[in-house]
Amino acid sequence: MLEPGPRHGYAIMEALRVRGGGQVDLPTGTVYPALHRLERAGLVQATWAAAGGRRRRVYQLTPAGRRALDTERSTWRDFSAAVTTLLQPAPLAASSP
Amino acid sequence: MTRHFPPEPAAGPAVESYLTELTARLPGPARAHAGIVAELRSGLLDATDAHRSAGLPPAQAAQAAIREFGHPAQVAAGFRAEIAASQARRVAITLMVTGPLVGLLWIATAAASHLRIDLAPPGQWTGLPPGLGAGIYLVAAAAGITAWAAMLSIATTGRLTRWLPTRPRQAPTAAAVAGYGAVSADGLGLILLAAELATIPGKLALLPAIAAAAASLARLLLARRAARRCLALRASLT
Repeated sequence: MLEPGPRHGYAIMEALRVRGGGQVDLPTGTVYPALHRLERAGLVQATWAAAGGRRRRVYQLTPAGRRALDTERSTWRDFSAAVTTLLQPAPLAASSP
Repeated sequence: MTRHFPPEPAAGPAVESYLTELTARLPGPARAHAGIVAELRSGLLDATDAHRSAGLPPAQAAQAAIREFGHPAQVAAGFRAEIAASQARRVAITLMVTGPLVGLLWIATAAASHLRIDLAPPGQWTGLPPGLGAGIYLVAAAAGITAWAAMLSIATTGRLTRWLPTRPRQAPTAAAVAGYGAVSADGLGLILLAAELATIPGKLALLPAIAAAAASLARLLLARRAARRCLALRASLT
């Protein structure tokens, strides 16, 4: 959700809902502790920014966060490809004459 | 966690009452959660705006935003683990910084009093009765436990969490162990000092001894308070 650029908590949750196609519907409040945890791990960086007369805590990926995202994405793709292959219907066994 | 945050204008009564209910479920003083509350308030205002843009009147938009945020207990539970981790980290770092400083004061006291350890086995202290010399190894053991537990707490709350599997109770437990380790090290140091004054009066260099004792006493009291706080934080995690 942060790959295209910095976002604040509510915008992250909205992006999650839109990109998740309605499949991801978490309580909005739970995204904030998760973001703090990522910040502690040095995967995102937070700053207070003023926009539209309101101040918001804006998060962006750190270089380490970007690397971690690439690794996780590639791990997930490999896993997902393996499961897709496994779930394909098996070809019918040739019947013996 | 960023500790500097700007003041946010108060939101409507429903949002403020939601925030009050949530804050009541967080451990520690209200000022420690000011950053969290400011961020949640700004998120709730954004959510309210989104519902107003979708056509809801202000009061209903605020109610919808609150429903969407989740029950205060659920949001607070997530933050409790974060608060415990950041406080445990702060305690552990403070202990790691103050430990060597207090240790240096004791070493200065020993040097000024012409007490020194004979490194050849069995490692006797010269200038000290044998019982007191052995006590110093206990201090060293307590200091070692403190350092080990503090490093564990720091490792499980910082960047290493990218690779280390961690559990929420780990860091406050390790920080509490480090705190009580520091209490033991400083307490034993003070007991040894009292014993030295009783058995070899006149041998100790008084000024460095007073400075070391004052520093140890201050650290002991602060470490005890911090360790208790860490245990309370640990207990608040489900």
